[in-house]
Amino acid sequence: MDMIIVWALSWWYGAGWKAQLKRFLERLDSSYDYFSIGLLLRSLFAPFRQISAGKVRGPINIQIRAFADRLISRFIGAFVRLILIVVGAAWLGILAIGGVIYALLWLVVPVLPLVGFIFMTAGWVPTWE
Amino acid sequence: MGVSFNYGAHRAAKARVGKFIGKTGHLLMISLAIVLAFGGIVLIVLANPVGWLVASLAAWPAMFAKWYVGELSDISAEASETAIEASLSSGVLAHLSKQPSPHDIAAAIGQTNEGAFYGARFGLTANFLLQIASNEQSDTAEIWQTAMDVKDELNLEHLSAGTLVYALVKQLPDHDALLAHNHMELDDIKRGIEWQEHIKQLIKHHSKPRRTGGVARDWSFGYTPLLSRFGQNISQQIAAGGLLSVDLESHADALDQLVDTFSTSGRQNSVLVGATGVGKTTIVHAFAERLLDASSKLPANLKFRQVVMLDSSSLISAAPGRGQLEDLIMQVFSEAYAAKNIILCLDDAQLFFEEGVGSVDLSNVLLPIIEAGRLRMILTMDDQRYLQISQRNSALVNALNRINIAPAGKAETIKVLQDKLILTEFSRKVTYTYQSVDEAYRLSERYVHDLAMPGRALKLLESAASYNENGLVTMNSVQQAIEQTMNVKVSVAAESDDREKLLNLEELIHKRMINQDRAVSVVSDALRRARAGVRNPNRPIGTFLFLGPTGVGKTELSKALADVYFGGEDRMIRLDLNEYVRSEDVTRLIADGADDPTSLTAQAMKQPFSVVLLDEIEKAHPSVLTTLLQLLDEGILRDIKNREVSFRDAIIIATSNAGAERIREYIDRGYKLDQFEEEFTNELINSGQFRPEFLNRFDEMVVFTPLEKADLLKVVDLIIAGVNKTLALQKVSVEVDEDAKKLLVEKGYDPRLGARPMRRVIQRVVENNVAKAILSGIVKPGSAITITASQVEETMGKAEKAQAIEQEAS
Repeated sequence: MDMIIVWALSWWYGAGWKAQLKRFLERLDSSYDYFSIGLLLRSLFAPFRQISAGKVRGPINIQIRAFADRLISRFIGAFVRLILIVVGAAWLGILAIGGVIYALLWLVVPVLPLVGFIFMTAGWVPTWE
Repeated sequence: MGVSFNYGAHRAAKARVGKFIGKTGHLLMISLAIVLAFGGIVLIVLANPVGWLVASLAAWPAMFAKWYVGELSDISAEASETAIEASLSSGVLAHLSKQPSPHDIAAAIGQTNEGAFYGARFGLTANFLLQIASNEQSDTAEIWQTAMDVKDELNLEHLSAGTLVYALVKQLPDHDALLAHNHMELDDIKRGIEWQEHIKQLIKHHSKPRRTGGVARDWSFGYTPLLSRFGQNISQQIAAGGLLSVDLESHADALDQLVDTFSTSGRQNSVLVGATGVGKTTIVHAFAERLLDASSKLPANLKFRQVVMLDSSSLISAAPGRGQLEDLIMQVFSEAYAAKNIILCLDDAQLFFEEGVGSVDLSNVLLPIIEAGRLRMILTMDDQRYLQISQRNSALVNALNRINIAPAGKAETIKVLQDKLILTEFSRKVTYTYQSVDEAYRLSERYVHDLAMPGRALKLLESAASYNENGLVTMNSVQQAIEQTMNVKVSVAAESDDREKLLNLEELIHKRMINQDRAVSVVSDALRRARAGVRNPNRPIGTFLFLGPTGVGKTELSKALADVYFGGEDRMIRLDLNEYVRSEDVTRLIADGADDPTSLTAQAMKQPFSVVLLDEIEKAHPSVLTTLLQLLDEGILRDIKNREVSFRDAIIIATSNAGAERIREYIDRGYKLDQFEEEFTNELINSGQFRPEFLNRFDEMVVFTPLEKADLLKVVDLIIAGVNKTLALQKVSVEVDEDAKKLLVEKGYDPRLGARPMRRVIQRVVENNVAKAILSGIVKPGSAITITASQVEETMGKAEKAQAIEQEAS
């Protein structure tokens, strides 16, 4: 039985903890891919959905109008992308903090009964009044 | 000293702990953790501080449950170690005793899921392994060593159950014979190990999170409402569900070529050319998947581009008018170009380049676009159609970057099948055995002509699912599928009816054939060899040259064979070679079935299991005979489209009247057949009527002897039996007196024409008298008409008189 506990604890603080970290990093990577922040940054000023993006030939007034349209399309694109970059960055931040907390909690799980025993001995319980 | 197993090693002990906990223990621990956590919280809410201890105690069962899932349920191998216990699959490891005998190893394998794979897929069940494994502990070292060798050879991570199955079977001295019973060889187990490892890799690959570019992937590219309406976005389908694709070497080359074409500055198009079923569409899917994979190394101008397959039928139905369709196509193409992330795929592109049902020739619209090379396009085309289009429109072909797709070889086809079958197994709720996959390759190669590999084998395996036995698709299921769909017999005769028929073939044939015992016997022997599975599978069932005068039963024997064995006289492909007397007639012989359904190759494609009768072979042009050489030798004939047509399930019978006079001379001089047959065939070879290499191709040259009067008496009986069969509908029968029969033979005997005039004489005498009797009401249903010698005399007399008057008049 002793050996079983030793094996369990050595896995918990060794390969088990590493596996949790790996899973956390995968989740972070997957979220990064979902928000595609790198792609958003690279294409920040690209016309949104190619609306009014094509080349226009013709008199100067039409070309000026096309330039203005393209500018608006690029502006809308940059605006939408920036919003998503902010939302994505916030989400990744929350995820990272959550991951760190989880990794730390993981380390204290085996000693939780000891913590529980101390609380019981102290006799403290939350009151609801 | 050989390798040994250390029972006390940590990994082995952990495996046993994992087995002890098992799925039930894991469930219990989770339940206990939930109960403790919930109970503790309730106590805390009730202001009882013991709740802290109770709730926190939930951490331990939760921790053990996590440990079980993370490590114990599948303990990874210790990479650097070479000891058995360090690399043995944990499922087997958990079930081993201290000093296991091969029998104990077999028992351990039988208790694992890995072992069940070999039971279901190969028929190497736990019981089978227990029966063959020895109880001697001294034999175990050899088992370990063999398994380790296989592990190293196949570069496996674990010493898996499969490697041990291989070792156990190999240790058996007569394993080859035993495996042959299961229709497999020892190396097939290695292929099974690879199959199992591949499935594990696929599962692992699919359980990994997919990175396909995220929500903003397409924001820089245009909307494509028209394309969504008239095409399928393969990339979206892949992103949504993924594909079970196979990494094939032959496909890898094509994929690299596609990437190369679209990432350089040349014309942005490719045409995949290959036979139907070769995997062109699969390559397009694999290409789309590669573009969508964020981790793949691709140029930035290709990453996340979407492949949209245009649907020609919906385009045609939406724009029925000629100008409308061209307008619509232009709009669709403009949209794809403006979107900047679309690669258009025209699957079966010939539909866009030729007029026909469901196809429209849009060459005039498409050619400038393809020549400009700015819109990215992939076309797929059947190689034959590609050639046809290239003849008509060379400019189009010159503007396309051609990529040839060759049919897959056996090993690759088997890999593709194993991957594709995962979905079929899931949807049809069946399991395919290894032997069924192997058999599907073999049989489809021979019988399925309209598709290339791997498509043809896959098609056969899918249809075999309907013939599963208790959920298992076996070799037998595949054989049944091909027998039902192609109307051929490929299995070894197992049914008692079938066996009985084969054993009594001579008797059955003689029910409609008189004399010619030797001819009947040689063809019967050939059929028995074929159906017992002892013949050469790479040749026709039998090739015979029937020699003899007309009317002695050469054609009749062929018909009898087709009827008795192949199931009907219509199972005979008959070619009168006196219609093939010019060298140009070779083209007619091997014409495409679509152009000439009566060509030899077209008929054999439709009906491979038949008698092929090549009548009057001596009259055929030498070029025709040369063409037939390969057929006789290898059972293969290539048609005009260069497709292999198999004659390996046919009996080839060539007939010839050559030397008929010489046979008659021998008979007249009182020789028996066995006394002159050899000399006669030598004379025939020396006469130069046939080239020796042609005659050598036949399994047997059979000389038919002219029929004698005694034989003709039996022929009369056969013809009368035929008449009675026809009259059975009217409930009337006819009997012929013995004297009348003899008289019929006298009247019908013609040494030059054999039995042929007999039918005319009987028709004249018997059928005429019967017809008169029925019409005059002399016979009533249930009664019999007897034909006497005087009636024969009278009828024949009248006929002769009529003939004489006719001659006089002329």
